[in-house]
Amino acid sequence: MTTQSMDRLAQEAVEEALRAGAQYADARIVRLSQEQLGVRNGQLTQADAPDDFGIGIRVLKDGCWGFAAAPAVPRDLADVLPGVARRAFKAARDLQAARTQPVKLAEEAGHVGHFATPVEKDPFRIPLQEKIELLREAEAAARVRSEVVVGEAMVSLRREEQWQASSEGANLHQVLMRVGGHVTATASAHGHVETRSHPALGGQYLSGGWEHIEAMNLVGAAPRMGEEATALCSAPACPAGEFTMILGGSQLALQIHESVGHPTEADRIFDHEIDFAGASFVNREMVGHHTYGAQTVNLEANSHLEHGLDTRGWDDDGVESQRWPIVENGVLRGLSSDREWAESAGDRRSRGSSRAEGWYNPPIVRIPNLSLLPGDWDLQELLRDTEDGALLVDGIRTWSIDQRRLNFQFTCQAAWEVKDGQPGRLLRQPTYQGNTPDFWNRCDAVCGPAHFQVFGVPNCGKGNPYQIAEMSHGAAPARFRKVTFIQ
Amino acid sequence: MSILSNDHAVELCQQMVEQSPAAQTEVSLLAVEDRFVRFACHGPTQNADREKYEVAMRVRVQANGALREARATCGTIDPDDMRATLKRALTLAEHADPVAQGDVLGGAVTIPGSALERPTQDHTFREKRAWIEAAQAAAQPAGLATAGLVQTTALTRTLVNSAGRVAHGAKARASFALTAYDQKNSSVAASTEIVHASVDKLDVSKAIASTVERAQAARAPQPIPAQEYTVILMPRAVSALLLGMAYRGFGAQEYHESRSPLCGRVGERIFPDGLCLMDDVHHELYPGIPFDGEGAPTLRTDLLRHGAFTGPVTNAHWARRLGLTNTGHGPAQPSSEGPRPQQLVLAPGHQSVEQLIASVDQGLLVHQFHYTNLMEPREMVFTGMTRGGTFRIEGGRVTHPVQNLRFTESLVRALTRVKGIGNQLEVAGALFGGEVLCPALRIDGFRFTSTTAF
Repeated sequence: MTTQSMDRLAQEAVEEALRAGAQYADARIVRLSQEQLGVRNGQLTQADAPDDFGIGIRVLKDGCWGFAAAPAVPRDLADVLPGVARRAFKAARDLQAARTQPVKLAEEAGHVGHFATPVEKDPFRIPLQEKIELLREAEAAARVRSEVVVGEAMVSLRREEQWQASSEGANLHQVLMRVGGHVTATASAHGHVETRSHPALGGQYLSGGWEHIEAMNLVGAAPRMGEEATALCSAPACPAGEFTMILGGSQLALQIHESVGHPTEADRIFDHEIDFAGASFVNREMVGHHTYGAQTVNLEANSHLEHGLDTRGWDDDGVESQRWPIVENGVLRGLSSDREWAESAGDRRSRGSSRAEGWYNPPIVRIPNLSLLPGDWDLQELLRDTEDGALLVDGIRTWSIDQRRLNFQFTCQAAWEVKDGQPGRLLRQPTYQGNTPDFWNRCDAVCGPAHFQVFGVPNCGKGNPYQIAEMSHGAAPARFRKVTFIQ
Repeated sequence: MSILSNDHAVELCQQMVEQSPAAQTEVSLLAVEDRFVRFACHGPTQNADREKYEVAMRVRVQANGALREARATCGTIDPDDMRATLKRALTLAEHADPVAQGDVLGGAVTIPGSALERPTQDHTFREKRAWIEAAQAAAQPAGLATAGLVQTTALTRTLVNSAGRVAHGAKARASFALTAYDQKNSSVAASTEIVHASVDKLDVSKAIASTVERAQAARAPQPIPAQEYTVILMPRAVSALLLGMAYRGFGAQEYHESRSPLCGRVGERIFPDGLCLMDDVHHELYPGIPFDGEGAPTLRTDLLRHGAFTGPVTNAHWARRLGLTNTGHGPAQPSSEGPRPQQLVLAPGHQSVEQLIASVDQGLLVHQFHYTNLMEPREMVFTGMTRGGTFRIEGGRVTHPVQNLRFTESLVRALTRVKGIGNQLEVAGALFGGEVLCPALRIDGFRFTSTTAF
């Protein structure tokens, strides 16, 4: 089937829904092709190639949503559409009476266009043998010591193609390519189990092609992972107390995600996620004046971010990708919204943050690419400027934050005690905790553009039923004063 | 609709097995029909009627003098699509490692019959709306708003392999989740989720009444210091802890790799005598699919018998490697994941929740934990937040609501301090997925490490 014929089928789906009685309709036809390869302890234990194709149709009837989804193969899609459209309409019609306030969508032009992730090397065209050999080499290199009980190396390749149409004239085609990979060593010794991962726990994910996997240098970094995981098993535990902390990029990305990204999602702010993932301490009235952090803190949403997982042409409401401030000089400036929540969030137009996992799920508000903008510190200068006993902390291990996104506690893979302006003694299981605005107010230095790196989150779970979305967070190491560590 | 009859599903899988040029082939087919209504303060927010398939082809090919395996999956039962999937699996398999000697595809098995609950499968959107309207009607007079989910799901799973194995199972799930919260302060909230295989067995009226009552009682929570408390954990709180343990403690792979706190402790009485934990997908309250990712029958398996660890759950590979019985708890192969419990059941005790509360002089009543995550695997140190209404217990009575707290606690340590077990089993889940059957627990000296102002 050609792109043109898919476009036409998406439009037919919309017309079917309108014929059924919908006042608004959109349709998304999605094909997701993946390749997942993983080597564990010398064996290729994961060799999977999922391929998935289907359609999701969403309608509005008297201010109430309805959604239906079904799998198909392209040649049968025309036969499937009418039934799916009717089911979506029926869902809206049968629930409308319980709706106390009709859904009202923010204005948006019906865009027409094509977007494709820039790719240097198509990862699906790299010979399979080459990919597997890379993983074998990296995994073997991670098992440098007998204490390493598990070595792992993995690559994940995803090509998502979507044809999207709406009753307001949208006709969009997007091809999003994402790749991820990691090498990980887990050591067990002296009664401790410790893990080190490169470039990040569960993998670094970026939009683009195989060039990103090559740039990760999985083989080169692997021995250090094995050495550090082993060393952590005999390292002293990170002490409890109040310390200056320099937070590395991968952990800082998670900090941004949990304590800025989710609390500024409009659906959480207006209690539409309260039954599951939770609500937010942020409210609409805070936008424009609330102090979210220190003046050094500037956080920007950007769905055009180079190599970002949420970098696309349009969201699943058909709204163009945008770039806007969330926190500017420490002050809360904006929220993430879809067309349903834009007006309540104080915006004339949606921020384009509406996304669904594949064809099987209805869209919800999602964190966009969201980055801490770089400051002007060099990391070596920052270390020299930081007192002995401070902690350089990085590597995601575990995370937890309350249902209003205030009280958080993160455990990282490793900490290094700062001594004479250098990372010194290795410490195990650094666990810091804090309160969101208070924590961001303790940030007094952010490293400059040379240290800025984009980290991908490939598995952000939200919604009930649960669905997954991808986004990225750019960050350079940053310093936080008087952070509470616990044991 | 996507659900297929037993015969039809088996026939589809068998056809693919027969068409496969591989030395050995396994085909599995999952069919799902799902209807849900999510609702919030303005009523229904998502009303969805959806269906899907997951077809997996696992092949073993002879290449370079060895048997090598891989798998590929697709989302339709279209013959051409399935053949293309088979081709992808064959290509991948040629590059795979030799299959470990002795890891053979399992042969014919006897799987207990299971059938879908017709009322659950047929539950309509209008019936779901009636429950939402009932919740709204009960909450509004109390100044409360409501949010939640009504969901009915039916699924079947079929597996056929070239060694003569045929397995087919069905599962139905109906759930009603309700959060009632103060319209002026949404941080004051109470939540309930009831789950059953049969939609007719859900006592929605009782769930609404108890949630609304608890949300009212949760108003004006008082600050409380972070320290150790005796806690009564209601089943939804217990489930968050047990699910963490299910993922990290009881599987043969982590047991063998020294990553479980239970390593080398088979037969050791680690926990109090009253603690009996098993994995049981056949439990009458909530039956699941009775076979694992390779079609091996999932056995009811004791994990803790009177506080003593009886051994890990296994799959074909780990059972052979460790010389244990295959308990049928493995994922679809090939996989880097090891076997895991599928449905933990913590045996009930003899005390009602009221009796458990009455046994506590100073403590806390915790209904739910939020965002519970593992900090340290060997001692199973978890952290998480209280949620959904937390209350002070004084002199054996619930006296007032308290602000939410963060706990940081070793589950191994906490379970050694179980001092009371409730007599009612409930199906309960947690934020990151999964469900267990468990009663309420009394645990002494449970460590809370920070506070909130809500």
